[in-house]
Amino acid sequence: MTVALGAPTARRPAPAVLRRLPRVAGVLGALVGTALLVGALPWLSGVDPARSVLRAREEEGAPDAAALDAVRTQLDLPTNPVAGTLGFLGRLLTGDLGTSWVSRTPVVDTVLPALGISLTVAGTASLVALVLAGLLTVPALLRAADGRLRGGGVGAAVGGALSALPEFVLAVLLVAVFAVGWGLLPTTGFTGPEHLVLPVLALGVPAAGVLARLLAGAVAATAGESWVGTWRSAGVRRTTVAAALGRRAVGVVVPQVLLLLVGTLGAAAVVEAVFDIPGLGGIALGAALAQDVPVVQAAVVLLVAIGLLVGGGGVLAHRLLLGPALTGSGFTPETAAAGRRPQRAALAVATVLVVAVVAGLLRDPDAQDVGQRLAAPSWAHPFGADPLGRDVLARFGHGALVSVGLAVLLAALALVVGVAVGLLGCGDRAGVADVLNALPAVVTGIVVAAVAGPGLLSACVAVSLVAWIPLAVHTRTLAAEARASGFHVAALTGGAGRWHVLRRHLLPVVGPPVVRHALVRVPHASLALAGLSFLGLGAGAESPEWGRALAETTGYLERAPWVVAAPALGLVLLGVVAALADPAPER
Amino acid sequence: MNRRTALLAVPVLFAGGCFAGGGGTAESGSDRLRVALNFPPVAALSPWTDDALLLTRMGAAETLVTFDDSGAAEPQLAQSWEFTDDRTALVELRDDVVFHDGTPMDAEAVAGSLNAAAGADPGVRVLRDVGLVATAVDEDTVQLQAAQADPLLVQRLGAPSLVVLSPDAYADPTAPDPVGHGTGPYEITELQGAQSATLDAAADHWGGTPAADGVDVRFVDDADARTSSLRAGEVDVVQGVPIAALATLGDDQRVVTTALPRVTALQLNTAGGVFADAGLRAAAVAAVDAEPVVDGVFEGQADVAPGLLTDDTLGAAARSTPTLPTAADPAGASIRLATYDDRPELPEAAAVLAEQLRAAGFTVEVVVQTYATLEPDLLAGAFDAVLGSRLTLLDTGDPVGYLQTDYTCDGGYNLARLCDPDVDAAVTAAAALTDPRERRQAAADIEAQVLSTGAVVPVLHEQSRTGVTQGVQGVGEDPFERQVVTVATTAGR
Repeated sequence: MTVALGAPTARRPAPAVLRRLPRVAGVLGALVGTALLVGALPWLSGVDPARSVLRAREEEGAPDAAALDAVRTQLDLPTNPVAGTLGFLGRLLTGDLGTSWVSRTPVVDTVLPALGISLTVAGTASLVALVLAGLLTVPALLRAADGRLRGGGVGAAVGGALSALPEFVLAVLLVAVFAVGWGLLPTTGFTGPEHLVLPVLALGVPAAGVLARLLAGAVAATAGESWVGTWRSAGVRRTTVAAALGRRAVGVVVPQVLLLLVGTLGAAAVVEAVFDIPGLGGIALGAALAQDVPVVQAAVVLLVAIGLLVGGGGVLAHRLLLGPALTGSGFTPETAAAGRRPQRAALAVATVLVVAVVAGLLRDPDAQDVGQRLAAPSWAHPFGADPLGRDVLARFGHGALVSVGLAVLLAALALVVGVAVGLLGCGDRAGVADVLNALPAVVTGIVVAAVAGPGLLSACVAVSLVAWIPLAVHTRTLAAEARASGFHVAALTGGAGRWHVLRRHLLPVVGPPVVRHALVRVPHASLALAGLSFLGLGAGAESPEWGRALAETTGYLERAPWVVAAPALGLVLLGVVAALADPAPER
Repeated sequence: MNRRTALLAVPVLFAGGCFAGGGGTAESGSDRLRVALNFPPVAALSPWTDDALLLTRMGAAETLVTFDDSGAAEPQLAQSWEFTDDRTALVELRDDVVFHDGTPMDAEAVAGSLNAAAGADPGVRVLRDVGLVATAVDEDTVQLQAAQADPLLVQRLGAPSLVVLSPDAYADPTAPDPVGHGTGPYEITELQGAQSATLDAAADHWGGTPAADGVDVRFVDDADARTSSLRAGEVDVVQGVPIAALATLGDDQRVVTTALPRVTALQLNTAGGVFADAGLRAAAVAAVDAEPVVDGVFEGQADVAPGLLTDDTLGAAARSTPTLPTAADPAGASIRLATYDDRPELPEAAAVLAEQLRAAGFTVEVVVQTYATLEPDLLAGAFDAVLGSRLTLLDTGDPVGYLQTDYTCDGGYNLARLCDPDVDAAVTAAAALTDPRERRQAAADIEAQVLSTGAVVPVLHEQSRTGVTQGVQGVGEDPFERQVVTVATTAGR
């Protein structure tokens, strides 16, 4: 087999140092670039940092000119972002992370312990997500080993449902049940391993849902490869086949787990707040709002460095798992046959959803009746009433249009960008995606709000900036396998053009699983939009959009579960539909 | 196989885990009070920031004077005082006060503490433009002198930022360290970053022996997280139970409620846009009905505001009825109403008010953001109406200062952008009054003047809600929210 003939991953002889040089320069550039971006926050947002620092130190009182001047002199604020960032980088080289503008204490005392805590939480959560997803996939693996797998199996549906669970709702629910209700675990704080359980579940379970859906897809795809049949006919034991299938599937999700790990590090502010964990997400959020630039710079540079490191690790891990096969042509990925039963289930769930939405659309979502505050479900209000006495069913229906519409749009956008980057990008190394993935959402949000102004469109931009990343990495992973397959190598040997190969050989293999992945992330898009609303980004304040409704009413979960249940169930059902809907053509 | 083992080993790196230090779990059997306060220290408990409130709430440090419900000064570390002229006062100190580090609190120490605050950079809010100089006259007497006539000279001593710390606290003159340097019933022995603090009873406190052996304080930002830990029995006292969570409290918990001098009001932008028209402001004032907000959104845990200032603040002073211009027809005039979500009730209240304004004929868009990103726009007058919550008695227990910052042309927090020469003149005149009763009557008159312009619609006066477990006794019921843990507070276990 002519391995070195044409595969794009073939190595060209060049001195190792020269080959590494652009890569090192890229990493350094990314670090300096993000530090500069953060350093420019006050200039981008147009808010005087002296004012926000003063506000962080004193909540009440008038920020008059004299007070602001005093803060400005004391802080010795840089006159422009470049000067400030150069100062920061200079100090960084000497191992000094600087002093916080707000607390006047060394940044390192705040950021490093928080990073350790966040690494613990995010690392454990990622591990738990992987294990849970694996467990959900075992039935599918065994069926596939028997040759009886149709579609994605149960794992796909359950995965879809779990993936749509909003983390903060889950967090509040876990506290109410396990900590307050049963007293099994502490509610808040972070002083020992018992404090780890609930936050890790809140973060890990929804993530496990996404991973389970990916695993299910990967298993289904691999199960269609001819070797599985060959092994079975040859009498290879069921568990051995299942293990081999599992290994291939895990290869697809490991890069996703690493993305998750890094993405969670600086972005778990909401869950951290529920459990009162002093993690990096909360610190980055507070410091970004107070424009405490030294703290944000230190946090972001650390996060981006970890992101790049782990991003590189993801590529490496995929190679390790697949071994030499990746550079050979040992694969024969094929498009999986669509299952019929799941599609019928998807149709049934979708019907339920549509009926509820239509019923809601016929009602008035804005009519307030404070006397009906948090009223329980009744004939007048079948889904109950919200804190302002508005009909939850009506808001559910009207919110669906915005939520589903926007989420589908965002997912489609992410899909196009993700597939394009994953297929065309130079691929096998850490890059822009890892940097963006590591940035805390609040930083992206503030920058976008500053550049594009508040509003729904800006929120979409902010969400789109990161939504494509998991899809691009997924595409990259699958494409690497496809490029190493026999038919791809054969096509190249036969002199096929780049576009021909892309269209005829890569897209058909990569397309369906990535589209499914994009679908599973549809509910996320809705939640991500809501997560930025406190910055003035996203749907308007009185909009019935589901994510917004959830963010506003989660505090009422115990008193009036119906207020939270409607939008949460809406998202979960949407997740199930998305997970079961199969874009692969029938054969 | 080796490769796979290696991959599996990666997550094990996290199993060692990093956890926050401390946590302050009490050793069993000891009578320690567990308290969750409502915000983390922003500057390592430096009294020259909002952290000062944490110091007084924990019972770690004390000011020379405190305030009664109306905001008038009462003795605390100071025993008595007298003005010798309009800018000088002599303060007589208690002679039985000892700092936690063992140093007796004498006039030198107090003067040093006050002068350090006066020299702070950036300046302490309550001493801005005062030019305070404190001098020890004898062992128990401190002379305070302001640069100009200052009727509030003694009132200022009640500001939390002027807590008295021992001379050793000022080793670093830019960042006073209250750990072990206060005078309160409890001594801070350790501060664990922004998470928690450990305090032990100060046996020789001047007010008697503290009722508990010590206090374990946690700083928990999230109100629902605080309430959960109270319900789970992890803490005995939590500050700021959100209204939404009141119904979830069980039989083992109750709430201590205190009326606050804090007004939630709708400020109308008088300088531009729809509400530059006084007739339309009058229409908005007429449209607002506070009852549904108080009964619905606040679930009765607030009082309908008779004016900007509370009845407690005004005391015997008579309120006069404002006279509004004739209301004009809104005819669908389009307004933007902004509020912030840092106080969870405000967005809901804004939605109710928006609906009332709509019913009156306005077209309303509600904008909700977090305060930090909203403030510049608020102060720049970017919105037609702002629903906000504001302390009417801030550092000095005096209402005139609030009227000055919020409703005069040069006021630093004039969200209504009101610039009325009559109001300005009245505020200037009131600020010069020395008799507290006269000041309060003047404040009542200015309030009526401001309300007559239609620049602001008072909606409600808020209450503080401190959640406690049933056994807890002696929690501070302080309208200024400065005292939570007092010498008498006990967990009752």
